[in-house]
Amino acid sequence: MRPFDYFEPATLPEAVSLLERFDGRASILAGGTDLLVEIKERIRLPDHVINIKKVPGLDYLSYDPVDGLKIGSLATLHEVETSPVVIEKYAGLYQAARELGSIQVRNRATVAGNICRASPSADTLPPLIADNATIHTFGPDGERSIPMEKFFTGPGKTVLLDGEILTRINVPSPPPNTGKVYLKLGRRAAMELATVGVAVTLTLDGNECRSVRIVLGAVAPTPMRATDAEDILIGKAISENAIEEASQAAKDQCRPISDVRGSADYRREMVRVLTGRALRMSIEAANEGNSPFDISTDQTVD
Amino acid sequence: MTTSIILETPSPTLGLIPENGLSVVHTSPPRVDGLEKVTGSALYAADYSFPGMLYGKILRSKHAHARIVHIDKSKALALEGVKAVITHADAPKELHAGSPAPRVGQMVADQYVLAEKARYFGDGIAAVAAVSEEILEEALHLIEVEYEPLPAVFDMVEAMKPDAPSIHGTERNLVGPPFIIERGDVEEGFAQAETIFEGHYETGRPVPCYMEPNACVCRWDRGGKLTIWSSTQCAFMVRGILSQVLGIPAHDVRVIVEHMGGGFGAKQDLYQHEFVCAILARETRRPVKMEYSRKESFLGGRSRHPIKITLKQGLGKDGLLTAREVRLVSNTGGYASHGLGITAVGCLDIASLYRCEKNLKIEGISVYTNNPIAGAYRGFGAVQAFFALETQIDEMAVASGVDPLDFRLKNIVGDGDLSPSEHHILGDGLAVCLRRGAEEMGWYERKKMGRNNSSPLKRGWGVGTEMHSSGAYPDIEEQSNAIIRMNEDGTVNLIIGMADLGTGTRTMAAQIAAEVLGISLGEIRVIDGDTDVTPFDIGAYASRTTYVGGGAVLKAANHLKKQLLELASERLECPLEDLSLIEGRVFAKNAPNEGIAVRDLVSGEGGRPPRTLIGQGNNEPTVAYSFGAHFAEVEVDTEIGQIKVLQVIAVHEIGRAINPVAVAGQIEGGIQQGIGHALTEDFIIDKKTGRPLNPSFVDYKMPLALDMPKIKTIILEEFPDPSGPFGAKGIGEDPIIPIGPAIGNAVYEATGVRMRELPITPEKFLKAFAET
Amino acid sequence: MKHMVSTIINGERRELAIKPYRSLLDVLRNEAELTGSKKGCDVGDCGACTVILDGKPINSCLVLGVEVDGSEITTIEGLADHTAPGAPLHPLQESILQHGGAQCGFCTPGILMAAKALLDETPRPTDEEARFAIAGNLCRCTGYTKIVESILSISGSEGAL
Ligand SMILES: Cc1cc2nc3c(=O)[nH]c(=O)nc-3n(C[C@H](O)[C@H](O)[C@H](O)COP(=O)(O)OP(=O)(O)OC[C@H]3O[C@@H](n4cnc5c(N)ncnc54)[C@H](O)[C@@H]3O)c2cc1C
Repeated sequence: MRPFDYFEPATLPEAVSLLERFDGRASILAGGTDLLVEIKERIRLPDHVINIKKVPGLDYLSYDPVDGLKIGSLATLHEVETSPVVIEKYAGLYQAARELGSIQVRNRATVAGNICRASPSADTLPPLIADNATIHTFGPDGERSIPMEKFFTGPGKTVLLDGEILTRINVPSPPPNTGKVYLKLGRRAAMELATVGVAVTLTLDGNECRSVRIVLGAVAPTPMRATDAEDILIGKAISENAIEEASQAAKDQCRPISDVRGSADYRREMVRVLTGRALRMSIEAANEGNSPFDISTDQTVD
Repeated sequence: MTTSIILETPSPTLGLIPENGLSVVHTSPPRVDGLEKVTGSALYAADYSFPGMLYGKILRSKHAHARIVHIDKSKALALEGVKAVITHADAPKELHAGSPAPRVGQMVADQYVLAEKARYFGDGIAAVAAVSEEILEEALHLIEVEYEPLPAVFDMVEAMKPDAPSIHGTERNLVGPPFIIERGDVEEGFAQAETIFEGHYETGRPVPCYMEPNACVCRWDRGGKLTIWSSTQCAFMVRGILSQVLGIPAHDVRVIVEHMGGGFGAKQDLYQHEFVCAILARETRRPVKMEYSRKESFLGGRSRHPIKITLKQGLGKDGLLTAREVRLVSNTGGYASHGLGITAVGCLDIASLYRCEKNLKIEGISVYTNNPIAGAYRGFGAVQAFFALETQIDEMAVASGVDPLDFRLKNIVGDGDLSPSEHHILGDGLAVCLRRGAEEMGWYERKKMGRNNSSPLKRGWGVGTEMHSSGAYPDIEEQSNAIIRMNEDGTVNLIIGMADLGTGTRTMAAQIAAEVLGISLGEIRVIDGDTDVTPFDIGAYASRTTYVGGGAVLKAANHLKKQLLELASERLECPLEDLSLIEGRVFAKNAPNEGIAVRDLVSGEGGRPPRTLIGQGNNEPTVAYSFGAHFAEVEVDTEIGQIKVLQVIAVHEIGRAINPVAVAGQIEGGIQQGIGHALTEDFIIDKKTGRPLNPSFVDYKMPLALDMPKIKTIILEEFPDPSGPFGAKGIGEDPIIPIGPAIGNAVYEATGVRMRELPITPEKFLKAFAET
Repeated sequence: MKHMVSTIINGERRELAIKPYRSLLDVLRNEAELTGSKKGCDVGDCGACTVILDGKPINSCLVLGVEVDGSEITTIEGLADHTAPGAPLHPLQESILQHGGAQCGFCTPGILMAAKALLDETPRPTDEEARFAIAGNLCRCTGYTKIVESILSISGSEGAL
């Protein structure tokens, strides 16, 4: 690795002042699963690395019915995937966390790091946006809160200003009869970067779709809402026709590129297939009022 | 043994095993070097360090085809801690073949240590030695290279056109003359056919992905002798070619291979770092360590050869093949490496497997392109050839309305037919494997549930077969050597030239010696992987270590045993033929209760120092064939194009399993690689620039534990070969071969889509599915 | 500048002077002279460098050496206490030997550490759980069958096969 200086600030203001002092030549280190790879591959060459893991009060995952889920910036993916409340109420996020990298990676990687890296294929982004999450930051000018949907501006780019640190992610509590799903398309069962990711958070009112947010990953420079598809469904009775129409609309709206993981055409078509599947699964989950994922530990394998 | 392995040994055993049975061979003791491996104390090349050691690294070309006009190393040399920078101007101007299999004409000397012209993206063009890895990294970025980019060609068909850029100055970029087999009159054969089938088949560019990246440490002594700790399958080849290129005698090069993290054929070649490291160490007079990054192991490594095959066969009214015509073109990349050998083996293999001895015409061509080097990789030519043949055989069966299994049984080669090496085949191994697998899975009773249900998920079964030579004959006149030394306490040092690349060579060798000498495994220490100490061996590859190397051990052990019995005969005053050696004691027939311990025979006595008994074995067999059939069940998601292998039944006839668990380990591991090749693994090279697009384990997708199906392994010992130790034949390469076509044929059964190109990616599948 | 780091590796306190840009893997292999953890990719994709850091399996190539100040680390060398002569192996080591789950052995240290972490939390895993736990560990020799058998057999869940 290219040499750098290393700091362990003890408070947020200290971290912010270091960032200001080094003016763009410093990188924040959380879990390091993105940053260290980028340094090793010389994609990023910081002169200073600021490890924020010694800052107290950032490592938490909490829930209450009013404020919803709060994910501190040092909470790891492992903490998320093993949290009973996440499994129960944030099934899309749970599925995204569980399929991210490997256990070794998830023991280090943070949700905040996944967000700040702002990779178009990042797994936790679509479900968090589908769940209407808000991002809280602390910086030279104090605190800000930003709807997560507005957070990303391009691959690797966010609205974070110089010296700003993500401190918390807030995810509202789901209303009753809500179903959530995240489907990740990859060639293997683990250790995959999504070729396409589709998150759906959908709330039913009887047979009517009261609200739905569909978020697509890896098919645009940032995660994107499939708003045309949402419009087709909201306020209407659920039907197979509507699902198919919405899936087609999601396909038409996405803007993928071709790369080694898949061609643009394939990705578009997969958006259609996966949106349909995710919608059907989330409707089923909303109807049953529970998580679509079997969380019992003594599940048997065929 | 666990439930996933079934071992079936029929009697009689043709006198190839002792009358009173086997006690060490044919059992599965833990590996003799296992303790080292499970405790982390096993040393691999990169684990060695020496005082004053430097680190070395190669600067790699950023163009696929370019003349190196000028390299300015001044800035790098000026960096504190940099001890040497070398370019082609500093390296010996000696062409070498990368893998000098002795006595073989198949290798082409077309590589320099560092070239003046880069022939693929990643070709090494300079190298640095520095005191730390961080300084090394900086130094590499300070070397300024002026390239003159040349037109490049990546497609093998394009490369043969007259106006294609010339890579090595050969005609039409051919590596050598075409390999041709002609038997009978192929036109006549097609005239006899009722139906003619013709198809184009293509295989991708999988990479062996041994877990241990290439690494070596070089150290010169003041007397001019080089010691190199390297991760190589062929220590003696490393010695031979280093001595050639460096211009020093063989005894001044010592190659040590202690533990090796896999090779799968690719580490037969000498890689650039092995030369460069020796040169840097000589220049700086300090030990130098070089480790490839994973990316370098992709870029500067060896892949399988992508091969295009046009296969045409005639089928007679009687359901028998009448003719076969094949054209095989192989893409060897920037350097020849094993290009010619692989083409030859592919041609020889596709001449056999299904009986068509009378009317056959096969032509194989090996072509240079500006892609990374393709080299030796488990299944050398056979993987590609049998994918084509096994797929087309399935097509012929379906088209003629015959069950694919019955079609195979009718046409498959058997006892007395011609093998790829043009020997007569011993035993109906293929038919036996096919029948046994069909019985295990219930082939004829299976429900064909796939195609017509309404779900997008379709299931189907498919079968593929293979036969493979043990050893590289006729490519190489085979030979292995072993020495067994008995110590004064009756323990034994078994000295063999083969490296253990992870397959269990040491354990196999120790088991054979223990069996013959009637001693326990604990009384044997295997010494291997040191060219100063062991007898010559060409290396661990070609499914040869048990068959050829194990045979040498058997001979050496018998030689030692003979000496022991002769000694005992004097002591016990009993004729040789009346003596037997059991559990470390020699007994006379007439006095079964007395006997003498081996230890007492060799320990010396009455002031007389002990004697050293040395057994020596030289083994030069020709060839034997192992046989296999794989049955695979797949589930195809026809909306997203993904294929999942649900289960595999693998049947292999290998004569004798010296260590059944190790054999099963080869089979299961071969299946993992084969599934990868069939579905997810492909090293993708940008068609415009020649830049590799996925040189990492994220985007080069090997199956992980969650992706692997259940495997049932059935090992048959129906046809032990008299030329193998206790009848044993090879297994190393076999299991990677039939799984590919088995999967392709299963996809056909499930969906009606015939895939003729590997890997079967979701996109390729969906395109084909939409067309049917 | 080097940083002084105090850590407990395999039960032994170690004070190490570490450059901040050295990965924990490099520190273990060089400064701590424990070469059992392997470098198969150096970017978290293969799992050969897996060690247990404060109770959790991690890729030591993706942690900085300076980050482990005050932490406790177990590497393959500390899986069983074989500093004492004749001390028994960890059951996982014994099992993988018996089942032939180690071939070339290069992935073995990482696999054993990932498996130990699994069994520490889930003493009787199912086949699926065992595979899930080692999904970040590449093996190119075994096809994983014998590795999974090794894990299941010592936990007494072989029936799950
Ligand atoms: C083997 C492997 C597999 C992976 N698989 C996946 C996968 O399947 N899906 C996926 O989405 N990702 C995957 N990743 C990427 C990575 O693990 C995730 O993006 C992870 O969540 C990053 O978190 P981290 O804490 O490690 O981030 P770090 O590497 O520490 O930081 C990432 C970036 O965010 C910045 N940053 C971190 N925290 C803050 C903060 N609080 N405020 C401001 N900036 C901050 C850092 O400066 C850096 O630029 C994988 C990585 C590896 C190595």
